Formats: sequence, C-alpha cells, structure tokens
Amino acid sequence: MSNADFATAGRARWWGILAAACIIAVLPLIFRDSYWRTNLIVCALNVMLAIGLDFVVGYAGQLNLGQSAFYGIGAYVSTLLIMRLGPPFWPAFACGVAASAVSGMALSLFAVRLRGHYLAIASLGFAVITYQVLLNWISLTQGPLGIYGIAPPPPLALPGLPAIDFTDLANLFYLVAGFALLAYMLLDQLVRSPVGETLTAIREDEVSAASLGMNCRAWKVFAFAVGSAVAGGAGCFYAGFVGTLVPDAFFITESFTILAMVIVGGMGTLSGPVFGAILLTVLPEFLRGIGDLRLIVYGLALTLVVLFMPGGIAQALRVARSRLAGSSPRQTAGAEP
Amino acid sequence: MSVTPAIFRASGLSKNFGGVRAVKDVSLAVAPATVFAIIGPNGAGKSTLLNLISGVHAPDAGTMAFDDLDVTDLSPHARVRHGLARTFQKIRLFKQLSVLDNVLAGFHARHRIPAWQYVWHGAAFRADRARCRAEAAELLTFVGLAGRAQALAGALSYGEQRMLEIARALATAPRLLLIDEPAAGLNAAEVEALLERIRVLRERGMTVIIVEHNMDLVMNVADRVLVMDYGELLFEGTPAEVQVHPRVIAAYLGAEP
Repeated sequence: MSNADFATAGRARWWGILAAACIIAVLPLIFRDSYWRTNLIVCALNVMLAIGLDFVVGYAGQLNLGQSAFYGIGAYVSTLLIMRLGPPFWPAFACGVAASAVSGMALSLFAVRLRGHYLAIASLGFAVITYQVLLNWISLTQGPLGIYGIAPPPPLALPGLPAIDFTDLANLFYLVAGFALLAYMLLDQLVRSPVGETLTAIREDEVSAASLGMNCRAWKVFAFAVGSAVAGGAGCFYAGFVGTLVPDAFFITESFTILAMVIVGGMGTLSGPVFGAILLTVLPEFLRGIGDLRLIVYGLALTLVVLFMPGGIAQALRVARSRLAGSSPRQTAGAEP
Repeated sequence: MSVTPAIFRASGLSKNFGGVRAVKDVSLAVAPATVFAIIGPNGAGKSTLLNLISGVHAPDAGTMAFDDLDVTDLSPHARVRHGLARTFQKIRLFKQLSVLDNVLAGFHARHRIPAWQYVWHGAAFRADRARCRAEAAELLTFVGLAGRAQALAGALSYGEQRMLEIARALATAPRLLLIDEPAAGLNAAEVEALLERIRVLRERGMTVIIVEHNMDLVMNVADRVLVMDYGELLFEGTPAEVQVHPRVIAAYLGAEP
C-alpha cells in the first residue's frame, strides 16, 4: 500500500466515524418507547466493554476473563464515592475509570508470567474474587441487598444552550454513545499507531518482540490499563443509568458474554466487536419468548462462528466487500489491513 | 590478547543448566566493523553463549560490556535500545503478519512521535510513518524481498524467512548484530547471498557475531573465529590459524589430540 492509499484509508475511516455519529443521532428518534431506548443504552455500554476487551484480547493477545470485574469496580467506586463523600458525578467518574485502570494494571503485574489458558484462569479468579467482595463486604457495598436510588449524571449546562437533562433516556443514550464513540476513536488511533504494531508483535511472539526492543511486561500492563479503564467508564454510566447496583450485574458470566461479543464480532479488529456487541445485545431481546433456551441459541451461534467464521462479522464483511469488488478475498489474519 | 579497541567484551562468562555446564569461563573481545564467528560441534555451548550475549539468559558468572557500558544485568529489550540485535536459530517471525509489518515492528524503539500524537495523529506522526516505511522498503530491497512486502511472512520460503529476520533485526539500527546459525536449512546459493550481505554490512561499519557449526562457511567471511567445545573456549584466532590448529581438528573429527 502506498502512502496515498493510506491517506485514502484514513479519510474513509473519518467518513465511517461521521456515519456512526449520524446513526447515533437518529436512533433515539426512530426508537421512541423507553424499552427500546433502554436497549440502545445497553448496546452503547456493551460496545464500550467489547472494544476495551478487544484491545487486550484481540490486539495484545492476552486472554482476559476479568472484564466483568473492571466493569463492576468502575460502577461501585464511582457510586460509593458519590454516596459517602459526595463529590459531583464527573470527578467520581474519573475516579471510577482510574480505579478500574489501576486494578487492571495490578492484575497484569500479578499475572505477568502467565499467558493463554493460565492467564484466563487467573483473570477469571480475579473476577470471582471481585464479585465475592462486592457480595460479602456488606458494610461497604450493602452486599446482595444492593444500592438503590443512584442518580443519573447531573444535567449538562453548556453556555448559551438549554441544560441537557440525563433523566431523559434519549439524552442519556447520546451521552453514553458519545463516550463509546470517543473511546472507539482513541483506540482506533492507538491501534493504527506503532502501539498497535507493538501489541500485535507481542501477541504473535513475545521472544521475537523482546528481540526488537519491546518491553513485553510494560506493554501488557498498558493494554490492561486501557482496556479496563474503558470498562470502568462503562460501569460508571451503568450505575447512573440503571439506578441500582447489585453484585449479580457483575457476575463472571458477564465476562463471557463480553468475550462472546468480541469473538462473534472479530478479534483484532475494532469495528467487529462493535457489531458483535450490538448483535448479542439485541438478539437476546428477540429470543426472550423462549426463556433460558436462548442460552443454547447463544452457545450454538458462538460455536458456529468459531468453526466456520473464525474472523467473526469483520471477516464476513471483508469477504463480502471483496466479492462485490469482484476479486478473491485477500488473505489477512487478525489485524485490519 | 590484542590491544585493538573492542565494541563488545565478555569476561569469564559461565552458565549452568542444572548439572550441565553449558558455558565455562569464556572471555572474548570483538573489534568494531568485523565479523566474529563462534563455531564448535553441536552441543558445544555456542547458542547458550549467544543467548548470554543477547540477554536471553543471565550468566551465573562473568561480565559483559558493550561500548564500555556494563550490560551484564540488562534485559534483552534494553540491550536492543543500546544497539544490539539478534536473529534466532529456529526462525521466529510474526508469521501471520505481512513481510512489511514484520520489518516495521523492528522500528519499535526508534519512533519520533510526541506522546499525544499516538491518540491524535498529526504531522509528526505522518512524517515518522513515512520515514519508517521508506527505511523498511530500503531494508527489504537490501535483503532481496522488495517484491514480497505484502506477502504473509509465513508464506515465504525458508531462505526468504531467514533474510526477512535479518531485515527485521536491522530495522532496530544495531551496531552489533548477532546471527544464530544462518546457514541452517539454506541451500548453497542462499548461503552465498547471505554471506555477501554480511560482508556489505561489515563494509558499512557494522559488527557481526555469527554462531555456526559449519566451519567451511565461516572461513569465507569471518575475521576472527572462536572455537568452543564442551562449553569451553578451545581456541581463538584467524580462520587460517583455526583451520590448522590440531585441537580444533580433533574436536571436529574426533581424533586423538
């Protein structure tokens, strides 16, 4: 690819971002009932969780099953801060994000010699411990009784404009989706920089990566910090959105659901997990009629994707695009071209 | 011991694996802009010595200095930043990435981008990308892979992969390049092409350490040869001296000294 091609690809990305912003703008106008608007917000939260996890799993190649814990830490830290010490929402939001990032770094440092299945088990253990702490530290978290009456983010007063009220679900969706888009843009810039090259190299072969001057330990810690910070941000919004916090919202099954979104969407691409998150949020809503049978549909879908389309939705889109262009699909693995 | 200035010095290096003494009290000094070969029969401890020099293993005893800087305790990635690069006996490329992306990964420690431009690509970012791409293209031309930039590294022939690994190591801008068993798995023409590239690197002022068990090969390119046997330094000298040294011949042919 020549430099001119790269400039074109860069422009195409900005058009994609613009298109996403337009879609975000019109969605609440199409879906006017609170049921669907609620689902839209859940979609936006899951997009944040999935792209954050993909940065760690898809790019850095670190099989992380602890995303539910970072989600919960962001939610509980920001909420408890506001309840106990009473800072405004946004400083508490920053603390929630920071707390998730720091716990991600701590897990990565602790598990520094582990990879593959062993890292998966260690991170799963971290998610279990976090869940148990939330459940049993009753004096702090009120355990299974939960925390009720959490206020949504305060109205945003921009100079010269009427205040934006986040008790309105449409406005809350704009806020969360706006942050999801911001997170996407930041991660997209990161993975298309030498940082993306470095993480991909570490994913492919750590010994080789070290032979090129890469400090694998530091970069894995960095990936965990970024991925869990994004999850922590989603957690802060979750608390203000649902108004209630119970530990069960951050049970380990949530980690698997988020991983499923990443896999179905396509690991090692950023756009794939966005589609995966939306699909696996909306699809179960249509399957509510069949009750717990939907878990079987879930599992079946995941198995089929892994067997027949290991690159997920992103791969399917790539194949479709090259078929339309009349050429055979180019052999690419993992990272986006 | 000669008094010529050395770019790399090791003294008294030892490494044990359990009860096996893989490297025993080896000292060496490598002069700048020369090719220094480490040879010996299989199992002589050559690769262990190379892993000590590149920092993959920490020595049990001894010290190493690179340009008068003590690097004994530096990790492999820190040594790369000081200009010490290596390739692997069993080729380790990023097989799922393109040939070009493999080389670009080698620029890791050499980017000149302000931190904020990693999340908001600006002019300095684009200039750095253009510089790395141009330099990567030059390196691929140097090793004869200019036409294969977009191919997957895993799809290259064995000889091409060996060349790509060298191009990737060169992308770190080393002053000392360690090449582990370059001829393994290569045919005669590929070996000759590789040796010719090594000679060009030496002319450009680079220092090269080659580990090789094929003695004939290093005689054509090396300035100094260090012979190892059973983890110990058997002899060090010029290729001509090595070829006629009775203990070296004994080690290779198994004759009584």
